[in-house]
Amino acid sequence: MMEQAAKTYKANRPRLNLSDYDIIVVGGGHAGVEAALAVVRMGRSAAIVTMDAGKLALMSCNPAIGGIGKSQLVKEIDALGGLMAQAIDATGIQFRRLNLSRGPAVWSTRAQADRIAYTDYIAEFCSRQKNLDVIEALGGEILTENDRVAGIRTEKGKIISSRAVVVATGTFLGGLIHIGAKKTKAGRMGEPAAYKLSDSLRSLGFELGRLKTGTPPRLNGETIDWSRCEVQLGEVPIPFFSHSSPGREFDQTPCHLTCTSSRTKEIISENFHRSPIFSGQIKSTGPRYCPSIEDKFYRFADKPRHQIFLEPEGNGTNEIYPNGFATGLPEEVQKAAIRTVIGLEEVELTKLGYAIEYDYCPAYQVGPSLETRRLRGLFFAGQINGTSGYEEAGAQGLMAGINAVLYINKEEPFVLDRSEAYTGVMIDDLVTRSTTEPYRMFTSRAEYRLALREDNARDRLFGHAVRLGLINKESFDRFYRLQAETQKEIALLDETRVRISDLQEIKHRFKKRGTITLADLLKQPGIGVREILPLLAAHNGRFSNDREILERAAIRIRYQGYIDKQEREIEKFRKSEAESVPDSFDYRSLTGLKREAKEKFTRFRPRSLGQAGRIEGVTPGDVAVLSVHLRKYKALRS
Amino acid sequence: MCRKNRSSDDDTIVAIITPPGEGGIAAVRLAGRHSRYYLKKFFVHTRESVPLKPFVMHYGSFVSAAGETIDEITAVYMPKGKSYTGLEQVEVFCHGGRQIVRLILQELVNAGARPAEPGEFTRLAFLNGNIDLAKAEAVAEIIAADTEHSYQASREHLLGAYSRHIEQLREDLVNVAAEVEAGIDFGEEEIELAPGIKLKQMIDHLIDRVKELADSYRGGRIIREGFKVVIGGRANAGKSSLFNLLLRQERALVNPFPGTTRDYLSEWIDLEGFAVNLIDTAGLRTGGGTVEKAGRAHAHRLIRDSDLLVWMIDLSRKNYRVNLQKDLPALPKCPILLVGNKIDLLLKNRKQFKINIEGVMPLSCTTGRGIGLLKKELVRRIEANMPDITSGLVVTSLRHKQKLHMALRNLKQARTKVAYSESLELAAFDLRQAISALDEITGRIYTEEVLGKIFSRFCVGK
Repeated sequence: MMEQAAKTYKANRPRLNLSDYDIIVVGGGHAGVEAALAVVRMGRSAAIVTMDAGKLALMSCNPAIGGIGKSQLVKEIDALGGLMAQAIDATGIQFRRLNLSRGPAVWSTRAQADRIAYTDYIAEFCSRQKNLDVIEALGGEILTENDRVAGIRTEKGKIISSRAVVVATGTFLGGLIHIGAKKTKAGRMGEPAAYKLSDSLRSLGFELGRLKTGTPPRLNGETIDWSRCEVQLGEVPIPFFSHSSPGREFDQTPCHLTCTSSRTKEIISENFHRSPIFSGQIKSTGPRYCPSIEDKFYRFADKPRHQIFLEPEGNGTNEIYPNGFATGLPEEVQKAAIRTVIGLEEVELTKLGYAIEYDYCPAYQVGPSLETRRLRGLFFAGQINGTSGYEEAGAQGLMAGINAVLYINKEEPFVLDRSEAYTGVMIDDLVTRSTTEPYRMFTSRAEYRLALREDNARDRLFGHAVRLGLINKESFDRFYRLQAETQKEIALLDETRVRISDLQEIKHRFKKRGTITLADLLKQPGIGVREILPLLAAHNGRFSNDREILERAAIRIRYQGYIDKQEREIEKFRKSEAESVPDSFDYRSLTGLKREAKEKFTRFRPRSLGQAGRIEGVTPGDVAVLSVHLRKYKALRS
Repeated sequence: MCRKNRSSDDDTIVAIITPPGEGGIAAVRLAGRHSRYYLKKFFVHTRESVPLKPFVMHYGSFVSAAGETIDEITAVYMPKGKSYTGLEQVEVFCHGGRQIVRLILQELVNAGARPAEPGEFTRLAFLNGNIDLAKAEAVAEIIAADTEHSYQASREHLLGAYSRHIEQLREDLVNVAAEVEAGIDFGEEEIELAPGIKLKQMIDHLIDRVKELADSYRGGRIIREGFKVVIGGRANAGKSSLFNLLLRQERALVNPFPGTTRDYLSEWIDLEGFAVNLIDTAGLRTGGGTVEKAGRAHAHRLIRDSDLLVWMIDLSRKNYRVNLQKDLPALPKCPILLVGNKIDLLLKNRKQFKINIEGVMPLSCTTGRGIGLLKKELVRRIEANMPDITSGLVVTSLRHKQKLHMALRNLKQARTKVAYSESLELAAFDLRQAISALDEITGRIYTEEVLGKIFSRFCVGK
């Protein structure tokens, strides 16, 4: 653990108003940190209120950042000036890209983190921010004044005033840990949960629900028989996340892969009844995509074994995270079961796994800016909105922070749409659907997936970032040059022809003889930059030496046809997004609308006609009726 | 909606819902929140103080604002949520005849009811979720259905067998897409994905099913537009005579495409329940010899698009065999029925009456001899081409056919890509496009354009 004394960083900033801070962020996790940093980046003052200033952006569960669908979020955070990508680039111990056997639209970077180094990096970065204080306290109550947020009261009763508040409390909000039949009120093992805050939200009229998640036990690496596990190495050259990453040379730490044995299945099956999930002790739903080990054996009874990834928690520790072994079983069952996993026969546990239940606010209660509808100036980000994952939290934190500043500045909120960013897809999903399980990003959630890629996060978002003052000029100029060079390269690839007979392994794919442009070659399945590099060598000096530029060009060539095809759809989508619905629209008085539809609209309060159509259970007919009323309403207004 | 849209929930719309012209009974429908109010305003019950009960026929008279009794009527009231449109609805039945029903409509409009726009009742039914888009289109078809067979196909659509079939296709398509999506989002995990070859098979199967449905459009088109019979032959072979003979003998149908001017004659008849579109190419030279090229090209286009070519042979001409040998190979590919005309002339000279060409149906347009057999043969040919309408799986709308073809194209593109793991995201793209194409048939994806098109096809009051 970090040897950092609890500190309060005092900023010397001019007091513009009577509030202590412009914005208070309750919670110092991945969402909270991005929110606070966005606020100071935009020139406002912020305070992070957290229980332990030494645990900012701590990875409570998996010591990794990124993954399929999530890495795209990290790149978007990066393009909007956020810190997550830089922090993992500086402290990651193994990097690789997943899905490389698939097309580049779904390539996804994932890095193992040194979780202590990561949180130290974040804490150090925060301490250098002039307008940012980190206050060690437990948020207890949201204070209001004239129907607007006015600050918070800590559990110990201290009042801190502000003009906006971002709540990013993660699993701490009403957190309850389950290990077998044992229940402990906590937000993380050994750390108190925030119960008063739940009460405060409830008394403000918010509806709270319960969600469940879980984490595996941690293992002592010295007691693992590594020879029985398969090694997984990092990728070289190292695929860093951030566009501004300085890059660094280091030996990547390997991960390992093993699997459960038949004995594991027996032990876990015998103890189903002792798991809080099956005993009825936990009623809330956990994520289907990240089930506990008992859930896996229960739901997929045919499957004899399951994979377990052994991931190091850092370089300075022997602690190992057995990815795939989350459990809420009692201590002795956990111990017995994990020792049946191949290579873990003698393993010692450093921490127990547990299931945790926590409060969340079903996200119909926030708008697309993440501001709550009930209380102006109050924003929610991360698990409180029903999501799961550091990346999902970080992206929301960033958006909530930006929008909190825009709210104070009395400016239009910043909303990304589904055709612009995974972040936009996520928030739109949250505000149009009920949560049935913790929400995790997947690439399949994005209907414009081919256009939302890691490689073009900056192309998509830098315009916004510049406008909002989230990135510096230097970054933008560098990107501008990159874009120009990409265009140049695309043109070159488009006009350069090669002889098909010169293509070694792939010439059999072509029926015709003669020549083909490099661009057309790149549209072939399985042909990428690596495959054409030898061909480029023949044109010495004409093509860029910069691999990133070549990759960017090749990917754009591959998808151009598809993206053009989708342009028309996006056009149509944007049109219906532009048909705005006033937030105060009274659906109950609308005739011709089914009661069910009225309830849905009233609950989710769509921002636009397009969004209205995406609300679960809403039929095209409902939208048509709404559109008629809307037109009438607007005609009356004008 | 593309038209100026005056519809609003406060309006009560009204229209005559029976066809124009003489008839036993004519009906007027009111839909909207004040329907009952309008009825009460004009309706005088035979027995006073009888309350208006839902779904009960009330007998009385329709009395104008000026106090004159216009007609004896029956009226029925349907409460909101329980009518076709989903709104409060009233239907008034008066005696047939143009004048009476128009007076009633006029009274109601004068009192404030708004004349319904074309298709508005059905649009309301769709908007209120009573019917889906495919059903809404089917309503339009039923109304337009002239023959028993087209009525049956539309009814199957309306009953939803068709929608269900599309939904089933969609679901299977979504299942394949889900496999592909899983390969993208969980490709790094230990899940059992269908291998590329299996996916290919699944897509092949879907391609077959979508193709089958799309192909049923031909049958669907026959149901909608009639079985298209082109009458061709050399000059003076008796094309127009046959055309006119059939028209005289059979019930003529209303041209489903009014207002189209053509340089050929085209009429619709009801042949034992089948709509037959007869086309006389008399104005267009179809024979060999001294034909104008443009005329022949035109005739050939008609023949290509037809379901049957009736080729008239003038048996009274000595060289008809030679002519036939010349003409037939030059004709576009198409089912052909050979008809030997003018047997009346041959019968005068019995020795000459021998047709040595197989399958030629003897006929005399002058005496009518052989026409019965010809009609039977026509019906036989039509029946052979008729799709199985009882299954309800016939595409009758061009819009649907286009969407199915779009889905087909996307599926074919996806098919080649699923085999390569590095093209999975592209296959997923194609599959999504295919799903959206199907969604546009049932209206799950709502676009203003689609709705505008569908509803603009309706006539007032239907």
